[in-house]
Amino acid sequence: MSELLDRLRRGPCLLLDGGLGSELIARGLAPGTPPDLWTLERPGDLTSVHRAYLEAGSEAVHSNTFGANAARLARFGLLDRIEDLNHAAVRLAREAGARYVIADVGPTGEYLPPVGQADPGQWRRHFVQQGRILAASGIDAFHVETMTDLREALVALESLREAAPGLPVLVSLAFERRKRGFFTIMGDPLVPSLTRLAAAGAVAVGANCGIASADMRELGREALAATDLPLVLQPNAGQPLREGGGVRYAQRPEEFAEDMASLLPAARLAALGGCCGTGPAFIAALRSRMPGHPQPVAPAPGPRP
Amino acid sequence: MLQLECADLAQAVVEGNAAEARRLARAWAEAGGDPLQALEQGFARGIHRVGELWEEGEYFLPELIQGAEAMKAALETLGPFLRAARTEQRSRGCVVIGTVRGDLHDIGKSLVATMLSAHGFEVHDLGSDVPVAAFVEETRRVRAGIVAASALLTTTMVGQRDLVRAVQAAGFDWSPRVLIGGAPTTPDWAAEIGARHAENALRAVAVAEELAQR
Repeated sequence: MSELLDRLRRGPCLLLDGGLGSELIARGLAPGTPPDLWTLERPGDLTSVHRAYLEAGSEAVHSNTFGANAARLARFGLLDRIEDLNHAAVRLAREAGARYVIADVGPTGEYLPPVGQADPGQWRRHFVQQGRILAASGIDAFHVETMTDLREALVALESLREAAPGLPVLVSLAFERRKRGFFTIMGDPLVPSLTRLAAAGAVAVGANCGIASADMRELGREALAATDLPLVLQPNAGQPLREGGGVRYAQRPEEFAEDMASLLPAARLAALGGCCGTGPAFIAALRSRMPGHPQPVAPAPGPRP
Repeated sequence: MLQLECADLAQAVVEGNAAEARRLARAWAEAGGDPLQALEQGFARGIHRVGELWEEGEYFLPELIQGAEAMKAALETLGPFLRAARTEQRSRGCVVIGTVRGDLHDIGKSLVATMLSAHGFEVHDLGSDVPVAAFVEETRRVRAGIVAASALLTTTMVGQRDLVRAVQAAGFDWSPRVLIGGAPTTPDWAAEIGARHAENALRAVAVAEELAQR
């Protein structure tokens, strides 16, 4: 059993990183530029974000590969760089000094009818391809995240397990708070969706993006009350506000940390972190509320960007 | 002969049944029914109900899309009859709509376009990834009273501000209003940039109707 898998199963709760795209935006990522491209064009900025998270206490960082699947890259004319983008992103995360590198696998952006024209076979080809490249790059786990359709999440999970049978896969869906509870935009309900994903072999299941920490706390409580599944939760830092030329998020790190830490006595929390807008200060605030949590990993020596 | 009720027409849209909506629209018009009545008291009420079911948390994206598809099928089928009867629906105004530059999200914007069409607006849909200049050019061409711009990414929202500025700077001899929407957008952001905000397709219709009355 891998060290990371053991940790996710037995605890204590693993501290992940926070938002990656929003940190790149703060460093000047222009509107309409795919964040994945910065792996090759601005590697120093990626290193700086990963290091900031490691210094804040993240034990694992996600690679900058959210959109590095064939479907998304093709839309930006970057299909021929798919191997480079995935390999280099993993290398940057590893070289930043991360003990665990979790490969970020986002949705294809293609939907089944009636919403779009995708078919599950198409999804499968994209995820198997990205999964093989990432596995060959030397990762510790996959995290399928920001999925808005349970069916795509399941295809991704199955494809990655096929592409790299030995690697753990975490899966997070993006839930919204609706009048009748937490659902994805496709209408997948919280507890049955998580149960289904765990049954399909995900080592941890949960939610990211879409909602801020107060709602995520409620979501976590619901999931903890209804299941005994290992959970992974990564809320946003509230709604984005534009300020001057940049984007600011409404929430303060302490509020985020309080909400997330309030779930912590639960043994079934496999991993906590943040999504859009949660920077290193959020992770540091959360770490200070995780008693007995390992000290931050010293970043690897190397030139500062 | 089949007795058609406006409620049946609405129901076809609520159920997201495009084939049924098309069949009913044709049957209604061929039986000599008023196509405008079919639209306003039938199908449009259906799409309005779809919007309500979304707000109530009963419907999700697939149901919304299917409702919009049924609405579109009804509009297409009724079109020739509306024109033949010279009862072309009184236009409530002209709307240019699109998703801003750098943003490929099409779904929400298309829903709003369909809803506005269903409610009597003349809609010019420019699609997604639309440069500000294209919005302005089309607004000038069709003399649109409303320019509607969607953004689904925090990185592309800024395009909505650019659009407001460009519309103000375009020197139109009328005053088009900009209506914005999309997941990361808020009323505060709209107020800051001088636009109106709608949080969903149903609200977009309400705001557009309010703007059209001015």
